[in-house]
Amino acid sequence: MRQIARLPYLLLAWFAALSLSAAASAKPPLVLAAASLQESLNAAADAWAARHHERPILSFAASSALAKQIDAGAPADLFISADEPWMDDVQKNGFVAPGTRISFLGNTLVLIAPAGSRADIAIRPGFPLARALGDGKLSMADPESVPAGKYGKAALTALGVWTSVQDKVVRGDSVRAALAFVERGEAPYGIVYATDALSSKAVRIVGVFPSSSHAPITYPIARLSASTNRDAESFRLFLISGAGRAIFRHYGFLAHRPQAL
Amino acid sequence: MILSPDEWQIVRLSLRVSGVAVGLTLPVAFGLAYLLARGKFPGRILIDALVHLPLVLPPVVTGWLLLIGFGLRGPIGSRLHDWLGLTLIFRWTGAALAAGIMALPLMVRAIRLSIEAVDRRLEGAARTLGASGWRVFWTITVPLALPGILAGVVLGFARSIGEFGATITFVSNIPGETETLPIAIYAALQVPGSDGAVTRLALISVLLSLGALVISELLSRRAGAGRGGHVL
Repeated sequence: MRQIARLPYLLLAWFAALSLSAAASAKPPLVLAAASLQESLNAAADAWAARHHERPILSFAASSALAKQIDAGAPADLFISADEPWMDDVQKNGFVAPGTRISFLGNTLVLIAPAGSRADIAIRPGFPLARALGDGKLSMADPESVPAGKYGKAALTALGVWTSVQDKVVRGDSVRAALAFVERGEAPYGIVYATDALSSKAVRIVGVFPSSSHAPITYPIARLSASTNRDAESFRLFLISGAGRAIFRHYGFLAHRPQAL
Repeated sequence: MILSPDEWQIVRLSLRVSGVAVGLTLPVAFGLAYLLARGKFPGRILIDALVHLPLVLPPVVTGWLLLIGFGLRGPIGSRLHDWLGLTLIFRWTGAALAAGIMALPLMVRAIRLSIEAVDRRLEGAARTLGASGWRVFWTITVPLALPGILAGVVLGFARSIGEFGATITFVSNIPGETETLPIAIYAALQVPGSDGAVTRLALISVLLSLGALVISELLSRRAGAGRGGHVL
């Protein structure tokens, strides 16, 4: 009986301990980032941690999914999108801290095939992609929402082949999902970023889409207005610094001088 | 509520995938349920565990296993393709396979319970009156187990309609081919200004689920009159 009488006090102590520990430990910043940044941003976070900072928590998904989460009030600190429209969306809804949005990376769009395939096709207006696909599928990110899919649809439309292949498109929920189906050899062709293709030994680049066929691929970063984390802003500044951009360049990104928007 | 052609396509596809999944799974589920309820043989526990595996595994693992097994490069998928010309990956048939596997444990559980509840003395009485084994099975065992079979079908159908993780992993999202209701909702969630479309699709799935439950309740009332075999 005595033990049962003590129970409320024990519970109280437990809750007190919990709340104390929550208050005492400053949480590392939470970064929501486009799926294509998986390896490069992890490397950047490692470099940041090596400079005696707490390693940020990184969460990767399609920029579209992340933007929707931010619009729904996700308590994150930084957002890196793989296109400008999704950052526009988040900014329009008032979630971007003023003066913190900057485009600091670029990428190129490529046509890939499984590493072992003999696929050989030149990208030019009206190129016979539908015939090359045959019964196979074209693996790309969702062309209605995910940036890599939107760029891909724009490029294929500009080259006049979209209508002939749109029924063969498998819509991945991120560019990495699209990459995976080509890596496994389940889709004979796919459209991903050059950096995604470089990250995988199981695929090879068949051709590069001309940059004139789609909107420039740029990655804007911004601090979110809800962020109260003090490390977040310094991590953001590190990423857009020369040292930060050098890491992304190592992974194949175009890391031009950042332009504020 | 008037559906757009795209929404109709999604609903029709979902019903087709779930209908085929449940239809093809039912005989398998019944056989397994009968075996587990009546059979006494070594390895029964193993079969029981295997049947339940899709219920406890993360759906994405089931989807991945389907992908590596039934993909064009998979040991089963490549043979189906070469020998029978049957492709499952990126096809609605693959979505039905995923949904059927996810529905199997729920169907087996419901059917097994009702078979175990069948009074075996009734079967014995029928045998002493000269009925053949088949006749006993069809006129005594199956009718008495019917409420559980119906419950299994409804549960399986509901599970199939809602199946997402294994499906998107195995057959991805292809409008008109593999874009079932949950996958369409997930895709629409990521499109700017899509709240209206998401609301409509979500409402459709609520109506579908409610409809399935009401129909099953009516059916089981009819089948199990006085025996209390209700799903709800």
